[in-house]
Amino acid sequence: MSDNRDMVVDTAARLFAALGSDYATNIAEVEAAGLTDLLLPADDGGFGGDWGDAAAVLALAGAHAVALPLGEVMLARRLAAAGGLSLNGRLTIAGATQGRLTGDSFTGTLSQVPWGLEADAVLAEADGRLLRLAVADARAARAINPAGEPRDTLVFERAPATSASEAGLFAQGALLRVLQSAGALDAALKLSVDYVNGRQQFGRALAAFQAVQQLLSQFAVEVAAVRAAAAGACEAADAGDAAFEIGAAKLRTNIAIGVGTAAAHQVHGAIGFTQDYSLHPLTRRLWSWRSEFGNDAYWAVRLGHEITAQGADAFWPQVVARTDRLNRRAS
Amino acid sequence: MSIFAAPLPVLPDVGDLRDRVRALVAATVPGNPAAHRANCWAVADEGFSRAAGAAGLIGMIWPERYGGHARAPLERYVVLEELLAAGAPVAAHWIADRQTGPLLLRHGTEEQKLKLLPAMARGELYACIGMSEPGAGSDLASVRTRAERTKDGWRVNGQKLWTSGAHRAHIMIALVRTDPESTRNAGLSQLLVTMDTPGITVRPVIDLTGAHDFNEVFFDDVLLPHDALIGKEGEGWKQVTAELSLERSGPERYLSSYALFVELMRWAGPEPDAAVAALIGRTAAELWTLRRMSWAVAAKLAGGEDPALEAAMVKDLGNSFEQALPPAVQALAEIDPAGAPELAAVLAQLLMVSPSFSLRGGTREILRGIIARGLGLR
Ligand SMILES: Cc1cc2nc3c(=O)[nH]c(=O)nc-3n(C[C@H](O)[C@H](O)[C@H](O)COP(=O)(O)OP(=O)(O)OC[C@H]3O[C@@H](n4cnc5c(N)ncnc54)[C@H](O)[C@@H]3O)c2cc1C
Repeated sequence: MSDNRDMVVDTAARLFAALGSDYATNIAEVEAAGLTDLLLPADDGGFGGDWGDAAAVLALAGAHAVALPLGEVMLARRLAAAGGLSLNGRLTIAGATQGRLTGDSFTGTLSQVPWGLEADAVLAEADGRLLRLAVADARAARAINPAGEPRDTLVFERAPATSASEAGLFAQGALLRVLQSAGALDAALKLSVDYVNGRQQFGRALAAFQAVQQLLSQFAVEVAAVRAAAAGACEAADAGDAAFEIGAAKLRTNIAIGVGTAAAHQVHGAIGFTQDYSLHPLTRRLWSWRSEFGNDAYWAVRLGHEITAQGADAFWPQVVARTDRLNRRAS
Repeated sequence: MSIFAAPLPVLPDVGDLRDRVRALVAATVPGNPAAHRANCWAVADEGFSRAAGAAGLIGMIWPERYGGHARAPLERYVVLEELLAAGAPVAAHWIADRQTGPLLLRHGTEEQKLKLLPAMARGELYACIGMSEPGAGSDLASVRTRAERTKDGWRVNGQKLWTSGAHRAHIMIALVRTDPESTRNAGLSQLLVTMDTPGITVRPVIDLTGAHDFNEVFFDDVLLPHDALIGKEGEGWKQVTAELSLERSGPERYLSSYALFVELMRWAGPEPDAAVAALIGRTAAELWTLRRMSWAVAAKLAGGEDPALEAAMVKDLGNSFEQALPPAVQALAEIDPAGAPELAAVLAQLLMVSPSFSLRGGTREILRGIIARGLGLR
């Protein structure tokens, strides 16, 4: 954990609460506050934060339903710097890549690119390389996820690419979604608890009904699980190899999103189904993020195959060894 | 609840502790079938308990003058998770190590501690929990078993029910009503009961698998010494609440079905189809998350706090996870008892016993009530 985490979190909280609806203004403010350089090493002019710092800020962004590619830019800038790629202009990352790199030239399609049309360059992985492509070289089309956030498609034909060695862009993208989801689920739970304490039916607060209590308890347990999984994935990511932990955390988060969003809407009744009420900015994002950077099937099958390849008796010792390694680092 | 987001508590260097536990289990119960490895903290083997005691794995955190080993609480946690993951038959000593020993350490007399704790730590003296009664299940505060203070000691009359291991236990900590005028949770006290005291009758209650785990225990004018009172008279409810945190917070609440997961992986082989791989991946993700949550609770307990809310969360989630696995395996794996006997046997065992997971140690509904209180809903 970096020493300045509290300060950064304070800054972020104030900033997120005050954001308006104009994308260009908002992203400029977040950049000016240095949040997009949170994961950039100090030597490269950044904040030098770790994944724990990113977790604190992205959970806040999730809780405030911030409609910006904050995590994406953060990650892109860290990866670009590490790979010696240019940091100039506004960067984003691709959620999915199809295509080939031939020499310094890329032909293919990047999809699910957050705010691709607003970016100057995009990072993607293909053929074992991390590529940096200029958005101006693409045929670009707007697409949006169920939350209304841009997830654009960029088609490149023999476009010039600079590249570095592959650095786990997709998995770290999944970690961003875990961290945002942790904040959004937490906020949806708080909203639900407040709502059932205030709303009266049958002469009592909804909170007095055991069916309501039990549903929200179940939701709270899911939120706790996501917190634990997110913390575990961040520690592993800071230690270097987080292949298992990020996959497990994304899968666990996806499961929790199912339980949590259903409970939140159920206890809210019709008001939660309205555009004016502040639940949908959270739940629509959660539903979107569940698909992004690996849905349940993707991570479950991938983890499953990695585990079975090692054999039944290897699983427990490996789970233990992966945690012990973090302990050694900490002590 | 924020304890789950905190960094992983740093573990003292446990050296070869894990290897020693694994080696002990392999040597003491070689070739233990999967159906016995499942739910292994309900499987008693006094020989194993004595071996664990001799290896210093019981009463690990108790002071040495009481036969303990003065180790760090998280070292004990490491031992527990290794025993459970290996499916060791730990039931005989489990309750003594988990809650009765700590309760005596806190509230017992010096004489009781010197007499009982060393034998517990050797894996020779076993305990049972006398809380539930026919009329007091979830509503534990309605216990009716009466203890009357007389000049000769405490005279006890009444009945306990569902008492696991009462037929092999040497002692019971019983929650009884010491104030006849009291109702609900006032006027309750905890008594140390030596099971061979005249007037005690233990009758088996056979469970649905045909096994004998729990019992009914009758008290008929049972006379206990004055110092049988554990802690303070009338403080039984408070003491029992603290005891329940110990009872609910351990790794047994998510590792009871581990043997089934191992046999599922074995049955799947190195390259299973997507559906089987997905179940394995999902189970692994949930297990990894639960382990971290369980560890966070253990660390809080180790620091002297009572994370009752978080313990309830881990137990509730662990129970649901463990109850979902058997039907999920059943839905996917076409099982020929002759073809994959280990998987078939452990699956059958867990299909039958897993409904009890969300009953014993506090039902799902009661735990969720505790969580709801923590959320500010009641
Ligand atoms: C395998 C096993 C081992 C056990 N070992 C021991 C032991 O060693 N010592 C011991 O003292 N006890 C033991 N128990 C007993 C256990 O603690 C009780 O079964 C448990 O507390 C529930 O009590 P009950 O069975 O009377 O069910 P009840 O309390 O009658 O409950 C039945 C159902 O109603 C629900 N319910 C009850 N009250 C409420 C409410 N207010 N709101 C909503 N739902 C409610 C419950 O959640 C449950 O689903 C054991 C039980 C099992 C299954």
